[in-house]
Amino acid sequence: MEKENSNQSFTTGFHFLRVGLAVTFLWIGILIFKNPEAWGGYLQPWAAGLLPIPLAQAMIGTAILDIIIGIFLLINFLPWLAALLGAVHLIVVLTVSGITDITVRDIGLLVGALALMIDSWPQSIINRINFLKKLTPGIGQSPETK
Amino acid sequence: MTAYALLFTLAAIGISETVYLIRQRLLAEEPICPIGDSCAMVLASQYSKTFFIPNDVLGLLFYIMASFISAFLVIGIGPIVVWDFIFKLAVAVGALLSLFFTYLQWRIIRAWCFWCLMSAFTIWLMGIIILVSNIV
Repeated sequence: MEKENSNQSFTTGFHFLRVGLAVTFLWIGILIFKNPEAWGGYLQPWAAGLLPIPLAQAMIGTAILDIIIGIFLLINFLPWLAALLGAVHLIVVLTVSGITDITVRDIGLLVGALALMIDSWPQSIINRINFLKKLTPGIGQSPETK
Repeated sequence: MTAYALLFTLAAIGISETVYLIRQRLLAEEPICPIGDSCAMVLASQYSKTFFIPNDVLGLLFYIMASFISAFLVIGIGPIVVWDFIFKLAVAVGALLSLFFTYLQWRIIRAWCFWCLMSAFTIWLMGIIILVSNIV
């Protein structure tokens, strides 16, 4: 089942993934608000040492970012931007928390966010990239075809 | 905690659904009706507004309130007792209103709207979770 939305079509699966990820980001944001210090404990010591602000404040900032991403995804407002932010955020989380028992879950969330981002990427940006490719024929071509 | 997570999830699903319905209404487009084809008939009926306010807007306000209160209860932002009472009361009123709207679809409009039924089941499920867990 597909829905035409201006110049893009989104599948039912896209909306299931969008709402599922939105709830995840929102709930994690709320849980971080509840106990920011405990969530800060997931940071590797080297990463915590790099923070220019107290750990609790950094975690509150993370919670706010999570909630904003969740709201954007939930109401389907700029889903590509929310998914992009979510993916970048998850890459940072994977980097600073190290390999643990729950790393695989973050990888699953990251791939979900990337899938949403790819599916909802604005046509205007795709057109611009294609336009730039036409201007510079060497980009994106294999040496044989140059 | 688990019950709050479920209540919050249901409220978030409700927000997503009502935002979709409001957006479609503002764009003057018919919403997709995954099951059946009577959504437009129900949503365009004279019963689609309560006290001149579209039901989708009322639903959105309810779900936003439910998500905020469940978040407040988890984080521990007071007054907890007041939030508890408002949450219970709102879900009870919402469940009764949903029962009434379902009756309207069944007997008066004689057409079923997928989104309206989904919203009704969401609110009833919230009520069941509150009753079963007895957390609020």
